[in-house]
Amino acid sequence: MPSSQAGYAPNLGFYLKSLKAQPVESSIENLISLLKRRQITNSRPCAVATAHLLLQVVAKFRWTNVNKLIERIQDVGRRLIEAQPREMVVGNIVRRVLGMVRDEAKEDRNDDASDSASNSQMGSPHQEHSDQGTSHLGGPPPSFSPLRFSTTEDSDSTEANGDDVFGGKPQTASRPPLITSHTSYAPAGGLPPQKSMFQLLSANPSPASTPSGAQSPHNTSSLNATSLSHRITTSSKDLKAEVIEGIEEIVDELDQADDRIAAQSLEYIHSNEVILTHSSSKSVQKFLLEAAKKRKFTVIIAESYPNDHEATHKSVTRSISTDAEGADELSTPKFSKSLSDAGITVILMTDATIFAIMSRVNKVILATHAVIANGGLIAAAGARIIAKAARVHRTPVIVVSGVYKLSPQYPFEFESLIEYGDPGNIVRYQDGALVENLEVDNPVYDYVPPDLVDLYITNIGAHAPSYLYRIVADHYKAEDINFDKPELQ
Amino acid sequence: MSHPQKGKVAAGGKGAAKAKKAAGGKKSENDREDTLQAVILADSFETRFNPFTLETPRCLLPLANTPLIEYTLEFLAMAGVADIFIYCGAHTSAVQSYILSSKWHPSTSAASPFNTLEIVKTTARSVGDALRDLDSRDLITGDFLLVHGDLVSNLPIDEALRNHRERRVKDKNAIMTMILRAGGLGEHRTKAKGITPVFVVDPGKNRCVHYEEMHPLQAHKYVDLDEELLKDHKNIEVRTDLIDCGIDICTPDVLALWAESFDYEVPRRHFLHGVLKDYELNGKTIHTEIVDDRYAARVFNLQSYDSVSKDVLGRWTYPLVPDSNLVAGQSYTFERGSLYKENDVMLARTCKAGKKTVLGKGTSVGAGTVVSNSIIGRDCQIGKNVTIKDAYIWDNVSIGDGSNVERAIIANEAVIGKSCKIQPGALISYKVDISDNTEIKPNQRITRAKRKRDEDSEIEEEEVSSDPSIVGSSGHGYEFRDAEEFSDDDEAAFHSSLIYSTQHLNLSSASISTLSSSISSADEPSGPRSRLSSFTSLSDDGDNEGFHHDAVQGLLDTLHEHGDFDSAKLEFMGLRLSNDATDHQIRRAIAVAFSKHISQLVDGEQKTEASKAAASAFATSGAVQFLKNVALSTGTEEDAVDFLRCLQKDAVNRGSGPLVLAALCQRLYEEEVVGEEAFLRWWEEAEGMGDDEDVEMKRVRGKTGVFVEWLREAESESESGSSEESSDDE
Repeated sequence: MPSSQAGYAPNLGFYLKSLKAQPVESSIENLISLLKRRQITNSRPCAVATAHLLLQVVAKFRWTNVNKLIERIQDVGRRLIEAQPREMVVGNIVRRVLGMVRDEAKEDRNDDASDSASNSQMGSPHQEHSDQGTSHLGGPPPSFSPLRFSTTEDSDSTEANGDDVFGGKPQTASRPPLITSHTSYAPAGGLPPQKSMFQLLSANPSPASTPSGAQSPHNTSSLNATSLSHRITTSSKDLKAEVIEGIEEIVDELDQADDRIAAQSLEYIHSNEVILTHSSSKSVQKFLLEAAKKRKFTVIIAESYPNDHEATHKSVTRSISTDAEGADELSTPKFSKSLSDAGITVILMTDATIFAIMSRVNKVILATHAVIANGGLIAAAGARIIAKAARVHRTPVIVVSGVYKLSPQYPFEFESLIEYGDPGNIVRYQDGALVENLEVDNPVYDYVPPDLVDLYITNIGAHAPSYLYRIVADHYKAEDINFDKPELQ
Repeated sequence: MSHPQKGKVAAGGKGAAKAKKAAGGKKSENDREDTLQAVILADSFETRFNPFTLETPRCLLPLANTPLIEYTLEFLAMAGVADIFIYCGAHTSAVQSYILSSKWHPSTSAASPFNTLEIVKTTARSVGDALRDLDSRDLITGDFLLVHGDLVSNLPIDEALRNHRERRVKDKNAIMTMILRAGGLGEHRTKAKGITPVFVVDPGKNRCVHYEEMHPLQAHKYVDLDEELLKDHKNIEVRTDLIDCGIDICTPDVLALWAESFDYEVPRRHFLHGVLKDYELNGKTIHTEIVDDRYAARVFNLQSYDSVSKDVLGRWTYPLVPDSNLVAGQSYTFERGSLYKENDVMLARTCKAGKKTVLGKGTSVGAGTVVSNSIIGRDCQIGKNVTIKDAYIWDNVSIGDGSNVERAIIANEAVIGKSCKIQPGALISYKVDISDNTEIKPNQRITRAKRKRDEDSEIEEEEVSSDPSIVGSSGHGYEFRDAEEFSDDDEAAFHSSLIYSTQHLNLSSASISTLSSSISSADEPSGPRSRLSSFTSLSDDGDNEGFHHDAVQGLLDTLHEHGDFDSAKLEFMGLRLSNDATDHQIRRAIAVAFSKHISQLVDGEQKTEASKAAASAFATSGAVQFLKNVALSTGTEEDAVDFLRCLQKDAVNRGSGPLVLAALCQRLYEEEVVGEEAFLRWWEEAEGMGDDEDVEMKRVRGKTGVFVEWLREAESESESGSSEESSDDE
């Protein structure tokens, strides 16, 4: 595990810092190398890195045609996925960005079609809005802090963010309240009003946004050649802004997923329950902590030897861990400390005793590495034992996972998703006889089939495993699902 | 040759990162910490991978189908190194073109994680020369990593760096930190076999206080510790369990030390040993960072090639495993049981590709073929019913139906015919063609490389005709033999074979090979050396191979050219001082030079008679004087006997050994270099061994018998018998 303390070893923190200064191509290659070398591992860091990289790709890519942009993102995505196919979130983020671009482009095309009609009629009333909105785009690209793990109420921050960058845009305001801002581009009930509002915007580029700063041809409804080309540039500029905004929303979603999941905890954790969890995960931690604010309960932690036990032990012994930046998801600082501080009884035990203790457990809460479209999940090794034991004892198994971990892919061979790590975690390399004579396998992940899971809690609510396909359909476009494998399309 | 790209690509990002680090509380250190530099020694200055390294530099040899230097560069990239200097000697252009086309060079690839990468061509003949060259170039501005181009490691070095700096802040004399991997006390495949490095460490301070290398054939099985060490250090650990992966964190002072000591050649047994020994003088300390997790090892000989390959397949080097596809264009996937397969591999339905196996792109495996524990490169054609076990097969190899390959290395574009049998330890180099139904014997090394004759620089390169007895009637290739000077030194004995075994070496006390193989050890400790009395221990005697080679070469040149021995003597004494050679080593070198020269004359085209050849050798001006003053400097009888023994031992290797020996003895007597007492004593000691005496040794001295008899007769007239100081013969 690369430490985030002083040192030269690159990690997520270094990478994000280097993004702006580097040319895009080296950033891409850099991320590929980091993924290959496992210097960025686990779902959240991979997702954050991918999202920020795509942001740069979109921001620095000059395109005239949306298809070019889609191709570009596909190309980058393909390379990233190839670099580390087992980090499925990378593909997820790429697909979501692609889906979003497609949505925006579709709206854009609709604009073009209705342009001349809407232009003269609806232009003037919204002039001021578009003035505000587009003037930002002419200036420097919107700045954002990639590592802003906002602790404020997420809806607030999102809106604040939207106001900041794209002040007064009707689109933001018109978002249907039922759908969270992160999934705004998903085809949902709120689409028609959005579309019409967006038309108003992009059909009325203000003079301020044109590079030449010359006359504004849209005051007249005549469509001469210059105005047409002018509109293409402006619309692509708008589109770019939209896409960037969309990616930023994904980044925000990544930041806030845990909080949103935690917010639902009181519905699932009751007083005096005994909860079993596995290794140490930030999502689970927040989930439990949130519940502990109101309720008292017991948590049993299986240490998850040999890959995560140190992180788990550390959390139990309260030693200070690395700070959150760049630290991977599964090693969480002050896990037990805050749990016990919050009044929870914490029991640490080995994985081997899971079955013995399962009869006393009321609920199992699992963290996950990736969720597959069929409702199964890829989680830290040992998860399947727990799920299986829970099934025998009819203990409910709850999986907490951000939607970003949900992958549309449905691999036929689950074995290929399981990464085999360093056998040195199991057998010391010093033991020459063991090294020479044994094959030491250290699978890092387990595949848990969907029938062993009772409930998924995501940042957009709770779902049965059989319902996940709907969420997949909401979040990914069918044409993007296998974009990295042309032979399957 | 150099491509200065100062801070072009990643400078901004790295700079930002550094700024953050500086804010993290390390402001006290000066700005030389800003970037981390690394020096890769891409040339090993060794010949352990011959015959492959005749055509390819060691760092480009494929390990699990990925060139070795990729692993090294990945390690450095993981560590966050910004500036790289690659030192190349032989095959510079190959390394250069590889690096330029790889993802590593910042000027040709956006993917390069380095700010600068410079390939330095040197004419150096040793690591020491390369580092002295580096020192003179002023490229290094701060602490740097010194690694070899054959390093495979996934160690995070941040902690070691931090410790190094902390020590450095406290004490400016802490010049170097070596990273060593604990290897456990038991047998371990990756530990250096044959030569065992002995690190004497003060565990409290992590300071290395003494270093030595030992090998199993050494008679002197002791580590000599200065008693001062025991006084100065409360705790001392003598560790032989460490895997020396050659990662050194150095300060620029290290280079200065190399520059001062012009005679150091090798980082460990010269530099480390020397600096530690001179602690009283220079006060420099060298520290160790002993790690016991993660992986670090060097591929420094064929056995370690074998073991590191196994470690890679066993995923000990994770994430540097084939399915990480470190090199662009690779597409390995991992299957349970460590089968790594690239796309487009054609496996016949009835073939068995077993465990711990790598199959490269475009390789096809025929029906009924069994592959296990093997690495097969790209585009190989494996026929039907072939058995491949524990073998390393590189790219574009074709193996005919029904062949059997076991524990061998087969290099690119080699062709193995049908129903061949490749026995364990065979090394088949580039483009060798073995015709059908041929059997390659164990440990045979076959090449098609043009032979370089750098020892007598007359012929630059010559094509060698194929040897049908080895590669079959229609095959191409000949058996590779090391240059003669090396055939009898330790490198060959321990390193040049794929399979490590002391068996042939232990046998050796009865066979030619060991008697003549004098195994070199570390610089001999300055302590008393003894036990030169018996024949067996003679062969086990420590020697300094570099010295021996250079000295013999120098003398031979003088003899060939009938040059002046006075200047040769100067040169010789210089060598002796710089290598700290013992008297015995000197005698041996001289003996070898003379006997070689004479036997060359005898076996050469002129077919000179042995006695004439000897006379001509002695006629070289100053030769007699040289022998008297240098070879037998002390003038004692013991020395003379030792010199004769060296002559005898060397004559074993010569075709006309007995003749040469007899002629030499006669000459030595006539020129009054060696007295008759010494001759008689030598003879009696040899006779005294009786059946213990080696057959070859006996054969060689056969012809000299007449001369000794004559001596005896001459002497018995005046005096009777010879006094014999009994020494502990076996």
